[in-house]
Amino acid sequence: MSSAANILRFRDVTVHYGRQPALQDVTLDIPCGSLTAVLGPNGAGKSTFLRACLGWLPLTRGEIRIGDAHPQHALPRLAYLPQRHAVDWDFPITVRGVVEQGRYPALHPWQRFGDRDHALVERSLAELGLTGLAERQISRLSGGQQQRIFLARALAQGADIFLLDEPFAGLDLLAVEELERIFRSWEAQGRTVLAAVHDLDIARRIFGRGLLLATSVVAAGPMETVLTEANIDLAFRRGKSAGEDPLRTTRTAEFPE
Amino acid sequence: MSFHDLIVEPFSFGFMQRGLVSALLLSLSGGLLGSILVLRRLALMGDALSHSLLPGIAVAWLLFGTNTLALFVGALVAGLLTALGSALVSRLTRIKEDAAFGSLFTVFFAAGVALLSRLPARVNLEHFLFGSILGVSASDLHLAALASGITIVVFVVARRSILLETFDPVFHRATGGRGPLVHAGLLALTVLNLVAAMQTMGVVLALGLFLLPAVTAYLWCDHFALLLLVAVALAAFCSFAGIVLSYHSGVASGASIVLCLGAVFVASALFSPRHGATARLVEFIRERHSVHRSAD
Repeated sequence: MSSAANILRFRDVTVHYGRQPALQDVTLDIPCGSLTAVLGPNGAGKSTFLRACLGWLPLTRGEIRIGDAHPQHALPRLAYLPQRHAVDWDFPITVRGVVEQGRYPALHPWQRFGDRDHALVERSLAELGLTGLAERQISRLSGGQQQRIFLARALAQGADIFLLDEPFAGLDLLAVEELERIFRSWEAQGRTVLAAVHDLDIARRIFGRGLLLATSVVAAGPMETVLTEANIDLAFRRGKSAGEDPLRTTRTAEFPE
Repeated sequence: MSFHDLIVEPFSFGFMQRGLVSALLLSLSGGLLGSILVLRRLALMGDALSHSLLPGIAVAWLLFGTNTLALFVGALVAGLLTALGSALVSRLTRIKEDAAFGSLFTVFFAAGVALLSRLPARVNLEHFLFGSILGVSASDLHLAALASGITIVVFVVARRSILLETFDPVFHRATGGRGPLVHAGLLALTVLNLVAAMQTMGVVLALGLFLLPAVTAYLWCDHFALLLLVAVALAAFCSFAGIVLSYHSGVASGASIVLCLGAVFVASALFSPRHGATARLVEFIRERHSVHRSAD
């Protein structure tokens, strides 16, 4: 893969919280239009990795490039969805009102909504199947629909790089399939998705590429080379239970007999 | 009593005119600010903030007399010290921000009371808390106009940032917004309007003029812009009604305005068709009923 096709490039990225390293020497290329799952145990630095992409965390060393720019100059291209979106669902705002927010960063204070802005909002609503729900207050939607509001807002913003923290958490089967369908269509349109994912089965099924973290990179690349038994073992058990099936040991740990 | 006696006659007096104009001006900015305070869940912080202004006002009065600018600066400094202080305490110690605020504002309020008790009495505590619409001077009116004007300009220019920061601070930050700036700006505006409202309503009742229209509108509106509009209209209407009522009944004007707002609020809380108590109760009973029937 030529370097021109890599939309995100990480070189020796290291982040510390206090003295504790949260990410260590992450060097990685993310190809344009790929679906990448960021995997790893709790505290492996998945959220830190996504937040570093936004330029929110001071890097101890290393560099992140988005296209050819520093994160600060690429903000409109980046869309970030935090874990369990903490908005007030009783807020007096409709679905359309939230999606329109995507256009705000591009508008000057005195500038009114133009035809292009309205068209972008309509297109984003339509792409995520929210057109019929546009005038509803946001609490009158299901969980999967609520998540799609924020994805639509990101589209209206003109984002083509999506940083999603646990987008599959708390979704039912139907909503997972719906989100998979959205990701597939984005992939086809050359949009890039980086998502922290907890569920290895979902990661395997939906994402073409993986990044397995345990503070530093355990493995990165095509999913089948990342989620090997040895790598999972290394990341989740720090190699302590070599030989056992790591998936089974995690499960019995959660549901003791 | 004719229409003339009821509505026109009270405003043949200069002090009544000034009181009304001052209250209407503060309704404009108060309705806007109150809506944001309610949506940001800062209603109680506004209350704490209003009390903490007292020592600043007392010190300013001690040094500069009734100079309005000095009073404002004193109040602003006291308010910002409380806000910054509690932010610091909550970051640096184990104490959470609400507890820090609650603790600091009582200390500030006590310091204010202590200062006032040592002062030759002309600013008295009752006046600070409850105001007196009869004493609204031309310079009070100017301050109200200034506070209202600045607030409206800020809301027009920064309306999108204010909405984003209120609704979804994470998104605001991710798209390059400066959240702390918006927060500090709203805090400063709140202090400015509280000081401007001190003469007319007193800080405690002024907060009622800010918050009550907002919570009432919140029970009716599902659109942000509509909420602001309804809150402002309601504040202005109840200011007018309250002042007329106070003229005819002899009740203190600040209290009369807040009681009018309170009546509309209680009625809305009970009977608002979508978000009121009755509507929710009916829905609850209907749901339980349907569960019983489907269980059969």
